[in-house]
Amino acid sequence: MGKSKIVVDFNYNVFINCPFDKEYTPLLKSIIFCLIKLGLQPKIALVSNDGSEVRFEKIRKMIEESDFSIHDLSRHKSNKVGEYYRLNMPFELGFDIGNKLYKNSNKKILILESEEYSVQKALSDLAFSDCRCHNSDLEEAIYVIREWFYENTNHIVLMVAPNIIWDEYNYFQSYLFSTLSNEGRSHKAIDRISIKEFMDYAKDYLTIKR
Amino acid sequence: MEVTTKKKSIKRTHIIKRGKGWALKKEGNIRATKLYETKDAAIKDAQKDRKNGSDVVIHKTDGTVEKWEKAK
Repeated sequence: MGKSKIVVDFNYNVFINCPFDKEYTPLLKSIIFCLIKLGLQPKIALVSNDGSEVRFEKIRKMIEESDFSIHDLSRHKSNKVGEYYRLNMPFELGFDIGNKLYKNSNKKILILESEEYSVQKALSDLAFSDCRCHNSDLEEAIYVIREWFYENTNHIVLMVAPNIIWDEYNYFQSYLFSTLSNEGRSHKAIDRISIKEFMDYAKDYLTIKR
Repeated sequence: MEVTTKKKSIKRTHIIKRGKGWALKKEGNIRATKLYETKDAAIKDAQKDRKNGSDVVIHKTDGTVEKWEKAK
């Protein structure tokens, strides 16, 4: 039986720690859309680009003011010779877990991976942790995130079926395409809109829909 | 002179990745009209909707728009 409580004004912050490369951007956009659709507020370092602020200080603030965190450790392996594997993601995860333990908080942390059990192989301290795998697939990422929030919060949210969120994400992409094309933007420019602008459009679109 | 504008409602049929296959779904409906193993089969079937006044929006696997076919 589904949870029937609907709280539209559910405004919990969710810190997102993930790769910021071109390959990951489509996945990040689908995660952001899913969170906004669930009534949550994504917090991401990319959105606040004040050059005068020390990067880690910005991340620390976001971690501390978030009720949930999503850490995607998909990039713990180098893909080609000479490429460094990324340490930012496990570092921020470690900081978040330490913050939760030392402050004795009820924060919930979701760890994502692109290959099943790969995180446990790379980071054996997390051997018994529950990591969720998205296979680098956007539709799967939405299923996994929606399922995790359903399991990990009692204050549920506007809980919608995952396939409905995925379909709506596709509708939103057509809305974005049509709106930005009408403004005279090229396809390339539409693909390259910033995460901040993407979030603003997603919020507007979902507000109209609600 | 008063000008009244009557907004024409636009119907859209979307071709969306669904698991390992593709779904043909009319915007506003809860369920997909039909599921297909291949994208080409879904695009071919969607032409009926196009003839019936619906735009057909073909999506990529990442949800972005690959092609937007206007209603005939």
